[in-house]
Amino acid sequence: MSDYLLDVRGIGISFGGLKACDGLTVQIPTGGLHGLIGPNGAGKTTAFNLITGVYRTQMGSVTLDGVKVDHLRPHEIAKAGLSRTFQNIRLFSELSVLDNVKLACHCRGRHTLLGTLLRTPRFVAQERAMTARAIEMLDVFSLQHLAGEQAKNLPYGDQRRLEICRALATEPKVLLLDEPAAGMNPSEKKALAQSIKLIREQFKLAVLLIEHDMGLVMDICEKITVLDHGCTIAHGTPSEIQNNPKVQEAYLGEPATA
Amino acid sequence: MSGELQQLVPTMMPSAARALLKGVALPVASALVLGLVMQFVVGPAIGAYPASVALQVGISVMLAVSLNIVNGYTGQFSIGHAGFFAVGAYVGAGISYYAALSGIDPASGQQPSQALSNGAWLVWNDGQNFLFSYGEWRMILASIVGGCVAAGLGYIVGLPSLRLRGDYLAIVTLGFGEITRVLLTQTKPQIFDRDELAATHAKDWVIPPMGGATGFSDIPAYASLMWVWFFVAVMIFFAYRVKQSSTGRALLSIREDEIAARSMGVNITKYKVRAFVLAAGLAGLAGSLYAHTGQVIRPQEAGFQRSFEVIIFVVLGGMGSISGVVLAAIILSILPEALRDLSEYRLIVYALLLILMMIVRPKGLFGVREIWEFWPFTRAKKSEKKVITP
Repeated sequence: MSDYLLDVRGIGISFGGLKACDGLTVQIPTGGLHGLIGPNGAGKTTAFNLITGVYRTQMGSVTLDGVKVDHLRPHEIAKAGLSRTFQNIRLFSELSVLDNVKLACHCRGRHTLLGTLLRTPRFVAQERAMTARAIEMLDVFSLQHLAGEQAKNLPYGDQRRLEICRALATEPKVLLLDEPAAGMNPSEKKALAQSIKLIREQFKLAVLLIEHDMGLVMDICEKITVLDHGCTIAHGTPSEIQNNPKVQEAYLGEPATA
Repeated sequence: MSGELQQLVPTMMPSAARALLKGVALPVASALVLGLVMQFVVGPAIGAYPASVALQVGISVMLAVSLNIVNGYTGQFSIGHAGFFAVGAYVGAGISYYAALSGIDPASGQQPSQALSNGAWLVWNDGQNFLFSYGEWRMILASIVGGCVAAGLGYIVGLPSLRLRGDYLAIVTLGFGEITRVLLTQTKPQIFDRDELAATHAKDWVIPPMGGATGFSDIPAYASLMWVWFFVAVMIFFAYRVKQSSTGRALLSIREDEIAARSMGVNITKYKVRAFVLAAGLAGLAGSLYAHTGQVIRPQEAGFQRSFEVIIFVVLGGMGSISGVVLAAIILSILPEALRDLSEYRLIVYALLLILMMIVRPKGLFGVREIWEFWPFTRAKKSEKKVITP
């Protein structure tokens, strides 16, 4: 048993000779907000894919709330309480906003073919509960007025927020956000930072955040892990990271030698 | 008084009974109404030949609705749908024909055509028949068995679909259809004589006597307009309920984005197989009904020509739109008949219409939406909603 809600220990994967992620360790306590940063191609999204089971990790382990999840398939991991958003938005674009969120309630229900075909009372009650919950979730993100709209018709910022909303509807213990602020303007970023803090408190979850916007990361994260070429090069609080010469080197290149 | 009564009724009726009423009785009753209307109103009104076309239109609609579950909702491109159709047809026909020939049931002496012309419906229990004629009950049973066998094959074909996508899945399903066709041509000659049938042993049924390449004939023709359209309505109800449910959302999400669907907790393996099983089962049922419409069924039923025909219904109707697919199946099944006067030019006109259709509405007749979503008042409601909330 570890003290951490999400305990990722030394996970890694190689694609051919390329070590896309090599021995990543991230530990987040309940309610923690952890940042994962690094230059392009550092392996941040690969790390997410490993944790959420899209790729199977070749080494190390992932433990969620005391349960080992690294051998599970993605939908089982989602059920165990790990949910994510995507760097390039992956909404169900032809479905309505409401259905996007309702789908995320899927893993908390039971779905029998017979119940569906005969519309049993249990099925009807479950559908009603899902709708109610989805509307509630949309309310949190003030998207409820768009419920009937197709997801693809939403403006970019709303699509990003809908993705977070959808991820939260799976009732996760840990939320993984992959560049939620990408393409947002400064005021939208500020609002996003606020809502990340807010949902963390409201839903009592831990957040692992990939972000390129240093201002946002330094502002809200308690701990930060820096990746470069698949390896962890630094780990610590925002101020420690800012003063770490290795991090500066990874981002800005080697200091000129006099 | 009446107000009080109305309030009393729901409380008096147990919720289970109400659920049963809404869940089962409503679709069955409305399907029955459609069937009876087709049989006794539309059928006599349009004449014998158009009525026989209406039978085939019904079969087309069933096929389109069932394929829509795999190709439309789930986005898995299957082009072997006719294989399931043929399996259902042969299984259903085999049961009905050999049961009638062997004389193991009371309907064996009954001439199906005669039973139909006498109005076999609503025959109350006269010792042999209950509500419907015995042969009709047997046809329904045979069709359900045919559907179940096809569904089992759907499970087997669904399994590779977990690993394959796009073109590769299409090739596997095409292969399934062709394998079915070839296997059906290898069956033994049909047995027409009762004594000969009685002399067969279990080992003679390892390769069933289903007529081989010459086809399987003399199948009792119990599938009247009423039965075909009854099952059309039942299938539309099924398809609609699946679409409007968590299962349907899961299927649609697989079409939209598999990776996102998995990450949101959808077991895509399970749902892809479910889609295949359901679609195959419904196609098998349609096949068995087709066999009972007085046709000689041949191995070509499993060929890709019929598969493509159904794909055209689904693509033109709009992938995932039930009403669109139904409409496309009806129009495209009637069209060749309507263009009969143009004789050899009709295929050209048909092709031109298809091309025109794809230019004007590239996403199919209704896209993923349903016909009622295009009605003016639903649109107004939507825009109204938008205005109210900031």
